[in-house]
Amino acid sequence: MIKRIVLLIAVLTLSTSCVVVKEYEKVNLSDPDMVLADRKTDRNITTAHSYREAASGANGGKTGGGCGCN
Amino acid sequence: MKHISLLILAVLSLQFVDAQTQDSTQVYKKRVLETTEVDFLSSYYTQDGDNAAVSGGIGTEELTDVTATFIVSIPLNDDDVLTIDAGVSAYTSASSSNVGAFDGDSPADPFVASSGASESDLWTNLTGAYSHSSDDRNDIWSAKISVSAEYDYFSLGVGGSYSKLFNEKNTEISINGNVYVDTWNALYPTELRPFADGGNGLSSNLFTQNTIIGNTNYNPDFTTFDNEGRNTYALGFGFSQILSKKLQGSFVIDLVQQDGLLSTPFQRVYFSDIADSFIENFQLADDIERLPDSRLKIAVGGRLNYYINETFVVRTFYRYYTDDWGIKSHTASVEVPIKISDKFTLYPSYRFYNQTAADYFDVYEGHLSTDEFYTSDYDLSKYSANQFSFGASYTDIFTKFHIWKLGLKSIDLKYTQYDRDNTLSANIITAGFKFIMD
Repeated sequence: MIKRIVLLIAVLTLSTSCVVVKEYEKVNLSDPDMVLADRKTDRNITTAHSYREAASGANGGKTGGGCGCN
Repeated sequence: MKHISLLILAVLSLQFVDAQTQDSTQVYKKRVLETTEVDFLSSYYTQDGDNAAVSGGIGTEELTDVTATFIVSIPLNDDDVLTIDAGVSAYTSASSSNVGAFDGDSPADPFVASSGASESDLWTNLTGAYSHSSDDRNDIWSAKISVSAEYDYFSLGVGGSYSKLFNEKNTEISINGNVYVDTWNALYPTELRPFADGGNGLSSNLFTQNTIIGNTNYNPDFTTFDNEGRNTYALGFGFSQILSKKLQGSFVIDLVQQDGLLSTPFQRVYFSDIADSFIENFQLADDIERLPDSRLKIAVGGRLNYYINETFVVRTFYRYYTDDWGIKSHTASVEVPIKISDKFTLYPSYRFYNQTAADYFDVYEGHLSTDEFYTSDYDLSKYSANQFSFGASYTDIFTKFHIWKLGLKSIDLKYTQYDRDNTLSANIITAGFKFIMD
């Protein structure tokens, strides 16, 4: 598992040199729907998941603590 | 000599212009947040199912929750933002009402809500966060502190994060850490309380005023928890990368260590090797769930978003989760925002989730009294879940509609249907309103 994660990080890191998108070329990437995170209005849905599901984390939501839930 | 003087003058002039440009950049650098923003988020959540953990894996899971949250982001200067997040969540729950199953007006029954004091509760939270960005916006620091409380739980949290952007802001790496110091005010099932140290057992009012049927020699071996604290230490790493003019992705690892009281004190367990005792239709607990006092969670997630054209975007998410309680889980979701005009966007989405069971889970009467750890909480069982959502968003970049000095920038509405393959289903309606200060 750890080896796979390290390998993935290495691949992602190496990929950074493949392309550089200039600021003026980021108009599509700046679209609000392209944000690499849950929408703010989805927060209560993510919180409900943290109560009802054993898994949590890696999604910007609760990972434990702060409530008598997960 | 004259040429040398001119050259020196030209160099000095260029340096002056350059210095002016740098100064201008510093003076007129874009603010991290232009003006104060206010988000109001609300949700209405309902669920039902037949496997309530409070009644040992059988009984109604009916629950209703209403949540309201204000998030106010205030720019303190060009670089610093203060965010205040205040929320309240009120719920009524049939299953938690059965912590005290015998204080209602109708006969006690795991499939019927009691009208006792544990029927409802209020969760409140206040979080303050401060973030600072460097002049070139390539370094971002943040710190936060949070406090939350409900009737039987109190939490204090502190955290911080650091993000670094480089490669012309095509690449971002981040690290974050959070610590929560929580305390239970443990509530136990009412029929077990007389059997704790100092209790008067079957001489208590509950048993003198009600008749035990089935095994009339009800005598659970019950002890309360000595330690009611729960500490959580979370460490997260993030990496995001622009992959093309239309594609970007991110990768996140979260490591979480929890210590202390990780059991929920009011969740009953029934053993298969102990004869059953009842009051009315409600089976008396043999014990409460007992879980290890330590848990290590590892979650690895990734997102990949692709801008197809002016109408469609594809947002994807995948997460793998594992912990040392034996749970492994996969989560995958896809959302396709559809811009139907410059103001309206539709958000259909689908999410799949599955998990294996915790080593300590078993069904109603599946455990033995000789087991060290046990729970019949179906949130820790093996199951799969499907979730369908449909949302709509209205955006007015000119903020024509006003409330006081706040202009309405966007409205988001969403309906979500969530179904597990073990009878639990839930519906969530969420609404979000975003205002910006004039």
